[in-house]
Amino acid sequence: MSSRPERLNACTLRPALAGAVLLAAASTSVLAYTATLTAAAPEAIYLQVGVGLFTGGNYTPIKGDGQPTGTPGNNTTINNVSTYVPQADVGNGAAQAMTTDSTATQSYWDGFTFCSVPAQLYIGGFYRTAGGSTAAAQVTATVPAALTDPHGDTLPFSKISWTSAGNDDEGAEPFPAGTFVNGGVQTVGTMASNTWNESCWTFSYSNNTVPKSGYYSGTVTYTMTTP
Amino acid sequence: MNTVHLRFAFFLPLALTIIWASAAQAKSITIDDSASQAIEPSVSMHWKTAAPSRSGGGNPMVGTMTIRVRINLTPWLRHSGRIYLSLPAQAPGPIGLSWITQGRLLPGQLQSGSRVLVYAGRITTPFMEDTLTFQFTVDGSLMRRAVPVTYHFEMDED
Repeated sequence: MSSRPERLNACTLRPALAGAVLLAAASTSVLAYTATLTAAAPEAIYLQVGVGLFTGGNYTPIKGDGQPTGTPGNNTTINNVSTYVPQADVGNGAAQAMTTDSTATQSYWDGFTFCSVPAQLYIGGFYRTAGGSTAAAQVTATVPAALTDPHGDTLPFSKISWTSAGNDDEGAEPFPAGTFVNGGVQTVGTMASNTWNESCWTFSYSNNTVPKSGYYSGTVTYTMTTP
Repeated sequence: MNTVHLRFAFFLPLALTIIWASAAQAKSITIDDSASQAIEPSVSMHWKTAAPSRSGGGNPMVGTMTIRVRINLTPWLRHSGRIYLSLPAQAPGPIGLSWITQGRLLPGQLQSGSRVLVYAGRITTPFMEDTLTFQFTVDGSLMRRAVPVTYHFEMDED
C-alpha cells in the first residue's frame, strides 16, 4: 500500500513564503513519498517423480512478459520401478538393475534430455519463495516396512538402493544416492529456494537373500515440505 | 604594505569565491509533492520470471504503481532549476526504480542511493503535474516482509 508520512502542505508553506527555501530545507524529512511493496503470492512448489506435467511447453524460454512458456500441472500417474530375478540368480549377491515405466527423459526446465529410460527415474522440481534464501524445502519418502507378495511374504525395502546422476550433470546432486529404510519417512533430497533441482535415479535390488518366489510390491510416496 | 601582505589580499577573495560556488552547487531542496496521488492503493510484487534459475542466483521481483505527481514549485516560480527524482539508499537493500511519464517529466531509471534528472529549465507554473508509472525491482530474497520504499523530488537551483 502507499502512504504518506506526516508532512507540511502547501497552505502551511505560503504564510512563510519569504523564508520558503529555508523552510523547505528544514522540512526535508517529511517531504517524501513512501510506497510499501508487498510480495504477492510469492510461493510456488513443483515436485515431479517420474512423469510430470507441463502444458504449453517447458518453463523456458521465458516470454517477453516475464512468464514461463509452460505451466506446471498435476499428473496423478504412479510410475513403477521393477526387476525380474531369474531363479538361477536369486540370492547370488549380484545386484539386479531395476527399470522404470516412466517415460520422463526431458527436463521441463528447458527440454534437455536429462535422464535415460528405462534405466533412470526423473526426480525434480522447484521451490519458489520470497524472503531469505537459506531455507530449503525437504523431499521425503514415506516407505512401507516391506514389499509384500499376495501370500503375505515380505521383502525388506532396504534391499533397494539407488544411484544419482544425469546427462551432462555437474556438482552435487540435489537428490543423492541412497537406500530405502524399512518403514518410515526418510529424506531423499532438498530443494534450495528459487532454484530448479533435478536428478536421475538408477535403482537396484541387492539380491543377497533368498525370499520365496513371488511378485513383491510396495508403494513409496514422495512428499515435498516447505519451511 | 610589503609583498607578503599583497599576496594575502589577493588569495583571500579567490578562496571565498570558490567556497561560495561549491556551496551553491550542493543546495538541493526537497520539493513538496503532498498533492500527488497514488492511483493504485498498493504495489504488488511479482516474480520477474516465474521460473527459478538453475543456479539459484538472481531472482528479482517487480511491481508497478501509477502516481499522479503534482509538485509545488511556487518557491522557484520564474527561476530556472533542475528537478531530480531521488531514491535514497534504504533497507532492506538495493532497490531498482524505473518510470515512464506522460511527457512533462523525463522518464528514467535509477538504483537506490542515487538520483536522476527529470526536468531542467525555467519554472513557469506554480505546480508541475505528470502521471508516472513506476516499476520497482527488488531481489526476492529481500522481500521477507512488506518493504516501505521512500523517494522524493528535489530541486537544484541554477
